[in-house]
Amino acid sequence: MIQFKHIRSRIAFTFLTVVVAIQLAGLIPLKYALDKHANQLAEEQINVGERVFVSLLQHNTQSLKQATQVLAADFAFREAVATNDAETIESALESYQGRIHAQVAYYISNRDDLVIGTADNQTALFGPNAKVDAMQAIVDNQSGMLKFDIVDGKPYQLITVPVKAPDVIGWIVMGFAVDGRLASQIKQLTHLDVAFVQKTPQHDWQLISGTADHALSNLLVKTVADVYRQKMSLHRVDFNDQSYHLKIRSLHQAGDEALLVVLQGSVEPFIQDLSLLFKSMILLTLVGVCILAALIWYVSRKTTEPIAALVKEADYIAMGDYDKEIQVNSIDEIGHLAKALNSMREAVLQRTLRIQRLAFNDELTGLSNRLAFIQGVHQALLTHAESKQKLSVIVINIHRFKPINQTLGRDFGDDLLRHVGQVLKQNVLGEHDMVARLDADEFAVMLQHTDQAQATRYADKLLHVFEQPVSVQGQAIDVRTGIGISLYPDHGMNEEALLNHAETALQESKAKKSPWIVYNTALEIDQSETLTLISDLKEAIQQDQLLLYIQPKIDVKTRRALGGEALIRWVHPEKGMIFPDQFIPFAEQTGIISDITNWMLLRACQVLAGFRKQGLDITLAVNLSTRDLNNMELPEQIAHLLSSHGLDAKALKLEITEGSLMQDPERAELVVKKLAAMGLHLAIDDFGTGYSSLAYLRQLPVQELKIDRSFVMFMDKNSGDASIVKSTIDLAHNLGLIVVAEGIENEFVLNQLARLGCNEGQGYFIGKPMPEKDFSVWLQRWEGQNEIDIDIGDDLSYAINPLDVEVQKDPFKLDYLN
Amino acid sequence: MAADITATIMDASGKPIVDAVVAFYDGKTTALPAGAGARIVQKNKLFNPRITVVQTGSKINFPNEDTVRHHVYSFSPAKKFELKLYSGVPTDPLVFDQAGVVTLGCNIHDSMVGYIYIVDTPFFAKTDDKGKATLKLSNGQYSYQAWQPGQTKPGAEQKITIEGATEVKITL
Repeated sequence: MIQFKHIRSRIAFTFLTVVVAIQLAGLIPLKYALDKHANQLAEEQINVGERVFVSLLQHNTQSLKQATQVLAADFAFREAVATNDAETIESALESYQGRIHAQVAYYISNRDDLVIGTADNQTALFGPNAKVDAMQAIVDNQSGMLKFDIVDGKPYQLITVPVKAPDVIGWIVMGFAVDGRLASQIKQLTHLDVAFVQKTPQHDWQLISGTADHALSNLLVKTVADVYRQKMSLHRVDFNDQSYHLKIRSLHQAGDEALLVVLQGSVEPFIQDLSLLFKSMILLTLVGVCILAALIWYVSRKTTEPIAALVKEADYIAMGDYDKEIQVNSIDEIGHLAKALNSMREAVLQRTLRIQRLAFNDELTGLSNRLAFIQGVHQALLTHAESKQKLSVIVINIHRFKPINQTLGRDFGDDLLRHVGQVLKQNVLGEHDMVARLDADEFAVMLQHTDQAQATRYADKLLHVFEQPVSVQGQAIDVRTGIGISLYPDHGMNEEALLNHAETALQESKAKKSPWIVYNTALEIDQSETLTLISDLKEAIQQDQLLLYIQPKIDVKTRRALGGEALIRWVHPEKGMIFPDQFIPFAEQTGIISDITNWMLLRACQVLAGFRKQGLDITLAVNLSTRDLNNMELPEQIAHLLSSHGLDAKALKLEITEGSLMQDPERAELVVKKLAAMGLHLAIDDFGTGYSSLAYLRQLPVQELKIDRSFVMFMDKNSGDASIVKSTIDLAHNLGLIVVAEGIENEFVLNQLARLGCNEGQGYFIGKPMPEKDFSVWLQRWEGQNEIDIDIGDDLSYAINPLDVEVQKDPFKLDYLN
Repeated sequence: MAADITATIMDASGKPIVDAVVAFYDGKTTALPAGAGARIVQKNKLFNPRITVVQTGSKINFPNEDTVRHHVYSFSPAKKFELKLYSGVPTDPLVFDQAGVVTLGCNIHDSMVGYIYIVDTPFFAKTDDKGKATLKLSNGQYSYQAWQPGQTKPGAEQKITIEGATEVKITL
């Protein structure tokens, strides 16, 4: 089966095949019939020709006979004959022969075998058979037959008439030569070529005369011989690609002698006529087929055109061009199909738009999403690469968004995000700049054609805007942001690198409490440096390079000192003070964290034991890492430490973050429950930054909840923050948990917390992290004069920060990066 | 003493021939009887009688009783003559003085054929429709010959002795 590219080709092909087949079915028999007819016509012609020929001969004979009879009836001639006047008879014959154009003339007397003939034929006529021949001729003639004879090797038609006086006294015989003249005469009447062929005892078959050309006539002689032998009268012979019908008739036959006339009818004229007819038929057929083909083509095209148009439309849809509506021009199936395609196009368009929205848009804010942003930056980089201009990628993060969301409701959080998005968008520098929401509370801005100064100006502008509390749903909330900036081509050649680096800078900004940070390579901790640090850390534990710092903690209501949180410091012999966030993550990864925790626990126990000796009943809190929570032997180790230092379980508090619990919740839960069973006091640290719910925490045997400092620090200025703190306190109390607030930086907040029922607090207003010996001093002073701001000297004054950034966040918190 | 002679003339197949002529010769010269002659009338475009037998020297007249004219001729060696277109009775009869057969024709009417058989004897007779001819001859020695129209010469001469009534059978 033939494969068609178009339906119209199939239709046209099918119909044309049928039409051509029908035409052929007609033409082939027609051709056959015409050929047959041509032959029939030729045959008929030759039959007619034969009849004409016979009738001509009869007519000839008759008129010759009449002419001869005139002579025979002539009184003078009869008188000459009666008187046997031979000379007179001969001269009379001669003159009469000339008059009727006979070639032979002689008189045969029946009385005394007298034969008188014209001079030319003497030999033949007076031969030994003359009498017999003559008598035979007479007999034949009397029976009314045409008489032909070969006289002296030449064929003649013989006419014999009696001479009466009044009885028959003799015969006049006239001979007319069978020659070209007779042949031409026959041809003129019959339109057939004529040939006379004879055979004599002396000569084989030979052509006497013929009207056809010589070659054909010669061919005939050979054919005729065969045909004559087989006693056939009709024959067909092919010569020069032409067919001839032959009609052979014997004129004379006696012994070895024969005279034949051959009538030749060519089929060609009939074939030519009929083939002209046939050619006309073929031409008509071709014209008909052409017209029909055009018609079929036109109709099938008209039929399938709309389909082709629809195919084209469908192709457009397939290529993603949904804008053009398909024109519905008909009410037939095609129209239905077009309608269906239209609905499909509409549905696909809607779906595509939705998918695009989902794929590239942030539904909440209406801004682009991460994917769209990355693409946007990618596009922008192409033009920037040409123009060699700079481009900024800025990543902005809202601090404390999760608790805001949780406490004030999702709607509130959503409105806040929308608001922030609007602010970011309103402040962009150019119309081709792009604002996107990357994550829950993380936004990104691309500023085209901007250098570092312009980018930081934008950041400053944002900070300026957010200095004023944001009013959302009638509530003022303080928005604090972290901003990381990276620049093309300084900080990366592609969108991924730029975004990653901006995010690194953002982390740094958050960590350093810096309003914004421009990326620099120093932000990336060198891998080799990290390795060095890890090996150094092992040494540090053994060589006592680690220091224990304590940040004091008080009862918010009574302002009595309760103890503190134990924090770690590493004084590197070469690099100086190293903050936990630079080595704790790697310690976690390599497992050294266990040694650090053990060191911390040991040191805490030592310090506690020391205070006990002084009679101070205080507690110390130690942070546990994820790895510690998965260490099943930890409870036993702690029990051993406590007992070896003569401490009871209440002296030591253990702080765990939500995140550390999540790593291996079942195992962690086991460890935590064991520790709780030992009577150890457990606290959830940094509450509000993780993802765990209070409902989950309730299942754990924890006694304390520490509200993250980011909520507390500005709660005096920010009603939203205050609400979060208040509701967290209320919730915790409902669950029977003690609430500890971190990040108290002024007395107003302290008082506010007291009013909200917060149990304990810590922060710079109360005391910065300090070495163990300074803590004793702080205790004395705090107990002595509660209201006096104690300046114990910031240890940061001698800190050697590799980033040279002022540390605002408590750097001693072991689990800060967890 | 006269005897009755009956001659039957037949063709080769034994069929009797009508109007055949038989003539007997006694070897003596017999003078023509006076006034001996004949008439051959042309009537209805026929010669009547068709066959006329006469003794040598007889005169024959050719009266034309038709309304058309005739042109009677003979190319026979025994008597060549020509009576050019005439009607009525020719003034002079023709004398046939040579024995033989004279074939009569009419140059106008090809179908008209008549014969005159001229013999040198007074003894001759024509056969009737049964092929029989009768005549009276005296007893004696005779020779005889038979002839029929179409024959250019008489049949073979036969010898016969008549002694009373005799029947002769001749085959031509």
